[in-house]
Order: sequence, then C-alpha cells, then structure tokens
Amino acid sequence: MLVSLNWLKEHFAKTDIKLDPRELADKLTMRGVHVAGIKRSTGSLTNVVVGKILQIEKHPNADRLRVTQVVFSEEEGAEKHQIVCGASNIAEGDIVPIALPGCVLPGDFAIKISTIRGVESRGMICSGKELGVSEDGEGILQLPKHAVLGQPLSKLLGGNGSAEDTIFEFELTPNRHDCMSVIGIAREAAPLLKTTLKEPKPAKFKAGAHRTSSIIKVEVDDAALCPRYIARVMDGLKVQESPDWIKERLEAVGIKPINNIVDVTNYIMLEFGQPLHAFDLRRIESGSIRVGAAKEQRDFTLLNGDTVQIEPGDIIIWDGERPIALAGIMGGLNSQIEDNTTSIVLESAGFDPIQIRRTAKRLGIVSESSKRFEKASDLAAVAAASEKAAVILRDSMGANVYHPPIDTNEYGVKEHVLAVDMREVRKITGLPNLSAEHAADLLDSIGISSHKKSPNVLSVRLPSFRQDLKSTIDLVEEVARLNGYEHIPQNLPLSVATYDRLDESSFEFENRAKHVLFNLGLKEAINYSFISEDLCKAYGFLNDNLVRLKNPLSEEMKVLRTSLLPGLLQNYLYNINRKAADLKLFEVGKTFFFDPNEETKVKEVPTVAGLISGHHLNPHWSGKSKEVDFYHAKGLVEILVRQLTTVYLNFEPINIPVLHPKRSALIKLGLKEVGFVGEVHPHIKDSVLETSEPLVVFEINLEVLRKYARSGVRYKAPSKFPGVELDLAFVVDQTVSAQSLVDSIKHAGGQLLSEVSIFDVYQGEHIPANKKSLAFRLNFLSSDRTLQETEVNASKDGIVKALTEKFQAQLRS
Amino acid sequence: MNDNLESILSEAKTNVSAAPSKEELERLRVHYVGKKGVITSLLHQLKDLPAEKRKEMGAKLNDVKTNVEKVLKLRQSELGRKDLEEQLSKAPALDLSLPGQYSAASGSLHPVTRVMEEFIQIMKRIGFSVATGPEVELDYYNFEALNTPEHHPARDMQDTFYIEPPVLLRSHTSPVQIRAMKNKKPPLQIIAPGKVYRSDYDMTHVPMFHQIEGLMVDEHISFAELKGVLHYLVKDLFGARPLRFRPSYFPFTEPSAEVDMQCISCRGSGKECRVCKSTGWLEIGGCGMVHPNVFRHVGYDPDQVSGFAFGMGMERIAMLKYGIDDIRSFFENDLRMLEQFSC
Repeated sequence: MLVSLNWLKEHFAKTDIKLDPRELADKLTMRGVHVAGIKRSTGSLTNVVVGKILQIEKHPNADRLRVTQVVFSEEEGAEKHQIVCGASNIAEGDIVPIALPGCVLPGDFAIKISTIRGVESRGMICSGKELGVSEDGEGILQLPKHAVLGQPLSKLLGGNGSAEDTIFEFELTPNRHDCMSVIGIAREAAPLLKTTLKEPKPAKFKAGAHRTSSIIKVEVDDAALCPRYIARVMDGLKVQESPDWIKERLEAVGIKPINNIVDVTNYIMLEFGQPLHAFDLRRIESGSIRVGAAKEQRDFTLLNGDTVQIEPGDIIIWDGERPIALAGIMGGLNSQIEDNTTSIVLESAGFDPIQIRRTAKRLGIVSESSKRFEKASDLAAVAAASEKAAVILRDSMGANVYHPPIDTNEYGVKEHVLAVDMREVRKITGLPNLSAEHAADLLDSIGISSHKKSPNVLSVRLPSFRQDLKSTIDLVEEVARLNGYEHIPQNLPLSVATYDRLDESSFEFENRAKHVLFNLGLKEAINYSFISEDLCKAYGFLNDNLVRLKNPLSEEMKVLRTSLLPGLLQNYLYNINRKAADLKLFEVGKTFFFDPNEETKVKEVPTVAGLISGHHLNPHWSGKSKEVDFYHAKGLVEILVRQLTTVYLNFEPINIPVLHPKRSALIKLGLKEVGFVGEVHPHIKDSVLETSEPLVVFEINLEVLRKYARSGVRYKAPSKFPGVELDLAFVVDQTVSAQSLVDSIKHAGGQLLSEVSIFDVYQGEHIPANKKSLAFRLNFLSSDRTLQETEVNASKDGIVKALTEKFQAQLRS
Repeated sequence: MNDNLESILSEAKTNVSAAPSKEELERLRVHYVGKKGVITSLLHQLKDLPAEKRKEMGAKLNDVKTNVEKVLKLRQSELGRKDLEEQLSKAPALDLSLPGQYSAASGSLHPVTRVMEEFIQIMKRIGFSVATGPEVELDYYNFEALNTPEHHPARDMQDTFYIEPPVLLRSHTSPVQIRAMKNKKPPLQIIAPGKVYRSDYDMTHVPMFHQIEGLMVDEHISFAELKGVLHYLVKDLFGARPLRFRPSYFPFTEPSAEVDMQCISCRGSGKECRVCKSTGWLEIGGCGMVHPNVFRHVGYDPDQVSGFAFGMGMERIAMLKYGIDDIRSFFENDLRMLEQFSC
C-alpha cells in the first residue's frame, strides 16, 4: 500500500513537523508497521521533460561521448536541441527524460548550457538515479514509446506535479486493517513525531427541504451481514474531471482518476480506509435499497464489464429483486455513474468480513474495496467517511446534499471494554517492572483510552478502528510493541526437558543413513517431492497409487513421487549434460502412496536411494578404475544395511521397468520387500537418458529397515586361541546360487566354522560347460581351545558330503 | 684387577663409538670379546682365583662384557644407518605434485542437511529434542489448531498446495508442534525440522523448502526467554551479531516478531550492500509467544503455561552461511555445487 507523506502531514496536530522520511520509516517498521520502500515523488523535477532522440553522432573530440539531437515535439521541423551524452544505451528514436538548463536535479546538481570538449550541450539526458526516481544508475531511463513529447516527466510518472513528496510503500500484516488508510498510518506515526492526530472539523449541513427518506429507503435483512449502512442522496452534480488536488493525490499513490464522483469515493477510501460506493439515483428503480444475502444462483454484471455468478450467501445490494452491487467488492454495471449522472446515492457501510472474503475469493476478485472489507469494518469510520465525502462533493463539486442521511445504526457504535491484568502483560512480555500507568500512556498515544481499575488492572476501551483487538493477549502485544521489543531483556532459560523424551528415532535413523552414504563417497541430492506425470511414465513409476496435487504450480510438479529414482536420474542427466562423469548421488526423503487406511489417504514412506555411474573411482593417473555394475551397487546396499541394522538381506530376481531384467534384484528382508538394486534398464539408458555409461541404482524403504536398527555395540571378547584357515573349491551347475552353497556350508560346518567367504568364481578352461567353480575360504575358531587337525577335517568332510549330496558338487583338488 | 676392568671398559667405549667403519668395528669386537679377546681371556683366568673372589670378579667381568657388547651393537646400527642414508640419498625422487590416491571417493552432504544438523546440535545442547511429523497434513493441524480458521485473512500469507481439502502439503512445520503438545503434557521443549511446501516459484521462492521450528512451553516462559534462546542460537550459527525483533503478525503467536540479524556482509552499514539490499539487516525468521487459542486447541491451560515458538528457513540460513545467492540452486543438484560440501 502506498501512502503520501504530504497527505499524512495533513493529519498531524502539529503543522511544522520536520522529519527525515527514512527515520520515520525505520521507526514505523520497528513498531510493526513495515515500510518496505520509500520513493521520492517526481514533484520537484521541474524542467525535466520528455524528449525524443532524433539523431546520434560521435563526439569529434571524445571516444566515449556522443552528440545527440533531441526534439520535444512530434511535429515536422520541431526545434532540435543538441545534447552531449556519455551513456551507451541510447539509440535514435528513444524516448528519454531530458533535464533542461535551469533544472536542479537531486543532490543540488544544476543543469546549464555548457561546452563539453568543444561541443555545446543544452541539457542532460538522465538516468533514473540522476532523477532520484530509481536506483538504476547504469543507463539512461527509457520512457514508454507513447509518452507525449514535451510533457513534464512528473506528469508521465504519475507524480504530484506541484510539490515535493515522499511515497511510503507499506507491507502490512493482515491484522492491521486500521493501517490501510492515511489516517491509520498517521495515528501510528503521530507519537513517533511527538504529535497527535488532528481532530477533524465537525461538518455542518443544512437540513434540506426534502428528507432523504422521502427519496430512498434502506432495508437491511440481517444486521450481522451489514451492521451499518449510511445512504446519502445528492443532486446537482455534474460528472467531470476532478480538481487537480484530488487527481494528484490519487496519482501519487497509483490510483487512476476516473471522474469527480468516483475519484471522491477513492479519495475517501484512501484517507479513511472506508470504501464507498456511488449509485446513479436514476437507476434505483424501486426507490429502495436492500442489503441481504442472495438466496439463489444468478448472473450479475460488474461495473468492470465482467459477468460473475452470484451464489447463495453472497451479500448483495438489491434494488427490489434486482442486484445492483456485490456488497463490499464491486458495484454493478446497471447502476454505475454515467457521464450524464446528476443525482447519486452514496453508500458507506460495514459488511461481514468473512462473507466478503468468501465471495471475493471464490470469484477471484481483489479490489481495493474487498481488500479492506474482508479484514474488518470500522463502524465509526462508516459515518466519518460518508460525512467527509459529502463535504467534498458539496464544496468542490457543487452537490446539493440531502440531510440528514439514512443511517441504519444511528445510535452509534457500541464500544467494548476489556480488563487487562498487568500481571499477564508482565508475564508474557518479560518486563517485570512495566507499570499500569506506562502501559496506559503507550495505548493512549495511538488513541486507545483506558483507566486504572485496580493497581494491576487496566480497563481498556477498544476503539472501533481497531477491530483486531479482542482479547487480553492482543493488548499485551500492543503494549509490548509500543514499548519497543528492544527493551525486553534476554534470558537463556534453563532446560525443562524431561526424561520422557520424544521419539527421535525416525529422524536419527534417516540421518544415519545419510552419513553412511556420505562416508562411502556419495553426494547428497535433494529433489522436490513432486514430479511430472511424464517423468513417472518415462521411468516406469506410473501406477494407481499416485497422489496428485489439486492445485499444482505446473504439470512439472503435479505428482507426489513414489520413488526417489526419477529425481536422481534427472540429476544424472542434468550433470552429464554439464560434462560431469562418474556420479555418485544419494537422496533420503519421503515417497508418497495413496492409502485408504491413512487419515490423509496418503502413506508417507521414508526412503533412501542412490545412483552410481561410470567408474568405481574417479579416473586416476596410476591406472584404470573398474566400471560399476550390479555387484558394486549390491555391495553398497550391503554395507549400508549392515551399518544401519542387524539383519541379513535376500536378493531375488525382479522385473520392473527401470531396472535391467537380468542384472537387478529385489531386496528382501525375510518375506518383506524393502527395495531393489541393479543396473538401469538399457531401454531407459538409450531412450530417456541417452547414455551408454554403466549406471546402477538402488532404493530402500527406511521405515521397514528401522525396525531392525542397530541399537549399539555388544562386545564379544576375541578368542585367545589361534584359528585355522581352509580353502575349498567346488564345481557346481551354473544355476546353483552362491548363497545356497554358503548356507549349506555354514549348516554342515558346525559350530567351529566361524566365517565363510567366496574368494573366486571361475568358468572356462578346465571346467565343463554349464558348470562353474566357486572357491570358499573357511575360518574355524574356538573360544576355549586350540583346534585339532582332526576336528577341522571332520568338519571339512561334513561340508564336502553335504554339498555333494545336495548340489552334486565336486571338490576340486 | 678392578682398576684394570674399569679402564678396559672405558677404553672399549671410546674406541667402539669412534669406530669409523664396519671393518674397524669387527676388529674391535674380536679384540675385546672375540675368542681370544681381552675380556674373554680375563674370564678364562677366573678359575685361578680363590673361590670367594672368583664369584665377585665373575659378576663384574660379565657386567663389563655385557656393556661392551651393548656399545658394539649400538655402533653397528649407527654405521648401518649411515649406509642406508647414503643409499636413500641416491634413490630417485617421486613427483610430489601428482594427485594422491586413496581408494575412497569423497562424499558430500547437502548444504541444507549440514545447516539443519548444526542447528539441531546447537538446540540440543540447551535441552531441545527433535520432533517430526507428516508432510501430508490435515487442514486442522496446519491451520485450524494454529488459530487460523477457514477464511482467516492470514491464510493468504502462505499459499498452500492441496491434495483434496482438507488434505494438504504442510505449509510450515508448525503442525508438528500441535501433534507434540497433544501427545505430551507441559513442559515441552522441541524443535521440528522438515520439508514444507508453498505454492510460490520465482527468483526468491521455491515451492518446497526446509524449516526448523522451535517450541518451548513451561510455567514462566516470556518473550525474554525467546530472545535469549534466539541470541544463543544465532551466536552459535553466525557468531555474535546484533539481532532486532521487529513486531509482526502470525495468527499462532502473539506478540509476534520477525527476527533480523545484522548483515553479515556490510556489518550493518548498509552501504551499497547487495546481501541486505542496503538495509543493514537480514531477515532470518519469525517468532512469538504461543497464542492462547493454540494452547486451548491442544488442551493446555493458557493461564497455567506460556511458551514461545520460532521458525526459520534452512535454505535462507544456508544462503547466508555459505554465500549462496540463488535459492533455486539448492534443488538443481549440480555436482559443482554439491561437491563443495564434502568436508
């Protein structure tokens, strides 16, 4: 929201306030009324006009300067002004701001006719920074092509033409509806400038010959929807341009002047925060205005020409059975001010903010009016704004105002009183010595009156302009912010943590997974939780369990991921396109699945996934590194799972689109599927990733894994006796799995067999076709004695026998 | 004979330690302890002594012998070392500038993970525990229980992704606070880290980011404790730096504040500073005293307990800490970015 400093100043009791706009802005910000920007209005830039560059030539004596000819009129043969310019971003035909001789730019920079390196220059082509209208000092300020040549720049930029002004840009929090007006800001600013708000002069109206009620009637169906409605009738008006002082005020804050009547309603809205609406009296055919909720659907054309659908519940201003305005949001085309309007009904009202917001949101309309009404209505301002509007229309536009107006709430606004316990204020703010008197003074400085009811209790009158103040805590905040948060001490509290700590295990387990993979040389990626449906499809994750966003930002971010792999594979693509190779990436995050049993119908699964491409290690001068393959990925999974849990995994064949059908595995923990690992399917490599590099991936469900998390170390003393090592090699059918052999060896080897590992797999010469040789290293160990050769041999015999019987294995010698 | 022994020993020590070569050392060995050496001969003469003297002399002689052998050995290793040094000095030198190799690649943790871990460590030291909750939430936990009923203007402050109302992607980690308070009686001291989602995507906004929120509830928690905790946290994260608390508004806290830290780049001068846009301050989070209505929703009695809550965006903190200037780069996963976080 933009507010003019000059306008603000009109509302202070003190008239000779000297202030630094920056300082005022900082102080307001530190009181919770955030000034996001300060703009100098171009008001002071007299003698800066819009010009057109007709011609550009090189400066005869300086390489970096150019000699331009500019004109201030489109007419043929317009007088040319020669100006020397040093900027590079100009071209013939550009429309630019020209400071003419006699002009004084910000920083007391006087422009005069001068000679630059032997060439006369009659003015200066300016940058935004030189003019003080923007921070950009890099090049000449380029003006729109349609700008009228010769026009003062201030007029073009919507400045207020006559006087210097400062425009504050406010970023207001949604609770401060009271600050959406010049008076509201002035109320906050006054104590910061050691002044008070100026009391408005009471307006005097002569009671007319006709009563307002003889011309129009007002009915309100439900006071909850419209707690106050003031209607004023005026005639003798002539629709025309507004006087300059109104237009300048509006333009300074970016509101386009339309005509005198509409401009006055806007002017009053900006000043009081109270939106008004003017109806053409001729168009109120029934002679009666009714405020009430719509009962049924119907179409309605707004004054901006859009036709919207009214829904039951919307607050409507009715003329008989005909809607004439969408209350608080926008008037109707059927009753708007026209060029020949002479009589109007001026509406000033308060509406139910929730219903206004509901309607405006549904229709997607954000008007200056709805922005204010959807927060709150100040019923006192309803009257004040109506009165001031009438005064301006009467005094500046010659309106004949009927008096008194119709007011559905003529007995005034009910005031609420709240008892505030200072002990509560002190407890929350951490200001133990805050006195009731001081709190009362602080509140009084912004127009909130109170009196001391007892030593610790203030009785506070809640003013109508602060509808956001409802309970004690709201007053605590007012006192705290007016006193200044900087005056609150800081105190590091003692921990109140108790033994029944919260369950941190899920977060910690996921973090441990990250650290294991980090230590194994993988780099952590984080991808968005949503991906495109196309990507799901490309990598084969399109299925019935997908969860889709109702209001996605784009098609690219529509589906909640059911796997982390699409993200990692896209990261792979992104990086190889930037010449990276040998990637090692992982991600830990949630995957999402439709699940009717969940409260939200969405099951979230903490998941870890990884991707490795190219070589095992980065290329090194000392020799070639091995390319990654299934076993590499499997090894990684095994280490990860071993470090995190106490379980053993089974690897079984799997067939999913993303993985190579023969070089991949389903990872199982007992009977439970917990993930998969393998080489990426050649089809995906060819058609989606367009890569021939080796590429392996894995993905594991961390939620299942966490049930078997390692809880710590259980120490086992090493045996004091030496172990015996024995190597055995067997020839078996190619189809026999290594794991089944290891299992049988362990089973047959007895208690003394402490470890079995595979150290060689061989096929080829000396081995029959369809057979393979596997070599095992066996370690025998006892914790209480040195092993005898006979014991080891007995175990060996048992193993050979078992393997021969079960697999027709042959012992190689 | 005693004097004789002393002089033999000292003479042997002098000679041996001065022996210039292995050959000379061997000659000395033979001379003293060889089969016909000086000491060996004396040992042979022991049998001529009277029995009581023999024992005493025998011990002394053996002592001398041991000592001489010790210095012989020492000198031998000295001479050997000298040879080795000479050999090594002639050995070819490595090219020390070639890259080293150790068979482990260096991994990295995402900058957001790093900042979160650091944040959590700092908060754990003063007694906060980690609490987590679902990313797909119900409107009740994300808004309603946080004093933001439907059609509350504050709902515009966070553009929310919906799956199917009332199911949504949480727009902050505050629902975790609600869940934690519903599960546990006060006192309570938690931090809630995690992903949050807002329907906003431009130069300075991403639709998913990470947040950590803190919540402390007890009988006498005031704004002063909130300031104390945040000063402690920021001091540990960024070093001692002035903070300012700017009054603001959140529906779930009152009084509320934005927390600004003095600019780490211009140190508050604001001169031509791109980092703080010349304001001298950097916004790092929001905070406030838990609103009594929030306590009522979770069954806490606002007359009995008070508390504070605060929230910070981890990407924002990481940007300031590491000098990252584009928030979107956190989710591009460009290797050239990731690998900078490997230590």
